[in-house]
Amino acid sequence: MSYSTFNKNQINPLKEPMFFGNSVNVARYDQQKHSVFEKLIEKQISFFWRPEEVDVSRDRVDFQALTESEKHIFISNLKYQTLLDSVQGRSPNIALLPIVSIPELETWIETWSFFETIHSRSYTHILRNLFTDPSEVFEDIVINEEIQKRANDISKYYDDLIFYTQLWQTHGEGEWEVDGEKHTVNMRELKKKLFLCINSVNALEAVRFYVSFACTFAFAERDLMEGNSKIIRLIARDENLHLVSTQQIINLWQYGQDDPEMKEIAEELREEALQIFMNAVEQEKQWAHYLFRNGSMIGLNEEMLCQYVEYIANMRMEAIGFDAPFKQRSNPLPWMNKYLVSDNVQVAPQEAEITSYLVGQIDSEVSASDLGDFEL
Amino acid sequence: MSQVFKVKVNGQHELTVDASQGNTLLETLEQAGLEPHYHCRNGFCGACRVQLTAGDVTYINDPLAFIRPGDCLACCCVPASDIEINQ
Ligand code: FES
Ligand SMILES: [Fe+2]
Ligand SMILES: [Fe+2]
Repeated sequence: MSYSTFNKNQINPLKEPMFFGNSVNVARYDQQKHSVFEKLIEKQISFFWRPEEVDVSRDRVDFQALTESEKHIFISNLKYQTLLDSVQGRSPNIALLPIVSIPELETWIETWSFFETIHSRSYTHILRNLFTDPSEVFEDIVINEEIQKRANDISKYYDDLIFYTQLWQTHGEGEWEVDGEKHTVNMRELKKKLFLCINSVNALEAVRFYVSFACTFAFAERDLMEGNSKIIRLIARDENLHLVSTQQIINLWQYGQDDPEMKEIAEELREEALQIFMNAVEQEKQWAHYLFRNGSMIGLNEEMLCQYVEYIANMRMEAIGFDAPFKQRSNPLPWMNKYLVSDNVQVAPQEAEITSYLVGQIDSEVSASDLGDFEL
Repeated sequence: MSQVFKVKVNGQHELTVDASQGNTLLETLEQAGLEPHYHCRNGFCGACRVQLTAGDVTYINDPLAFIRPGDCLACCCVPASDIEINQ
């Protein structure tokens, strides 16, 4: 079933499933099957920000004064985050747009991915300020073994879905041999791959950033690297929206509010989905170990970080219907919350800087007198 | 109609809430010193999810997080009856 950029069939998007139905033709939002995606788009756009607007120049001085082990922690986290956003800035588009079937979700995916590219650009903004030539840092991302391990787990479910979708869209269902390997392509298999992929992305958005976030905010607690911390706060806020979108997709499937076959698949692959999540948690803990191998930093150590990962993981797993697997029920790093709160609510006066662009409505009623002696 | 409701937390603490004051359930729990979970405080992260085992709540902001049956998001709701929750 080949993809068309403008499906000429008359389709009713209100009757389409989220994925693997008819491809979207008219980008219309006056009627919506799952209106939450339109709300997510609005919210995400209201969060629009540009990295260049955050002044990171003072971080350079702070950075010079960090110990070697703290520098390792800081730079390694930036590398890992660069990897995550490199993947997220393209993969939802490449993997999901060819198979999405409702306009509000299609546009959400594009909006989501676009914001990941803002995140990527912000890492360059941070690194350019710290190093005259940041090439070495970027180049290490594809060499560094610790990052490689994670890259593989993150990209494999996407790659698998993309490959099978390509086979299906060029050859249709059947048994196809590519480079000497046999592949069975049918709708059930495709949907299973989609299910695993969304679960892997969900785990990524849910826990994979939080070890790095905690380190960033631990520096900020000591009044260090504050430019960086401002940027990471904006990123963390965006990531919450991304997470909520994958949780929505998974729950809509589980509760049979979308494709009934996806409900069956969600039950069938429950254990595998759980394993994907547990692996992500394990990898985050290993990451904490790697970060602190040369020594820890004030206010944070490996054990606290691992407890925090467990605390976050419990919360995220319950959100998609798993029992909380860890005993860590209280927040071991309570100060994290003040960095994760959305700025629509003021926590403390010093946290009150305006980071949202939606400060007012555009006034559509402009009278001639408002323009005064303005002349063309 | 009275807007004063009872909120029973984890089967132990019993709080009395005047819903017309506009305090969210999250704020109510905080004021009682119960240290509820939260991140965004704005309905879009799901961190404040608690189990709602009895009664009803009203959402004062439209939440973006999926609310599974039997759950509620404390940061954007107020009690609409006597309720029982587990956190
Ligand atoms: S604190 Fe984020 S949804 Fe309630
Ligand atoms: Fe991101
Ligand atoms: Fe993201």
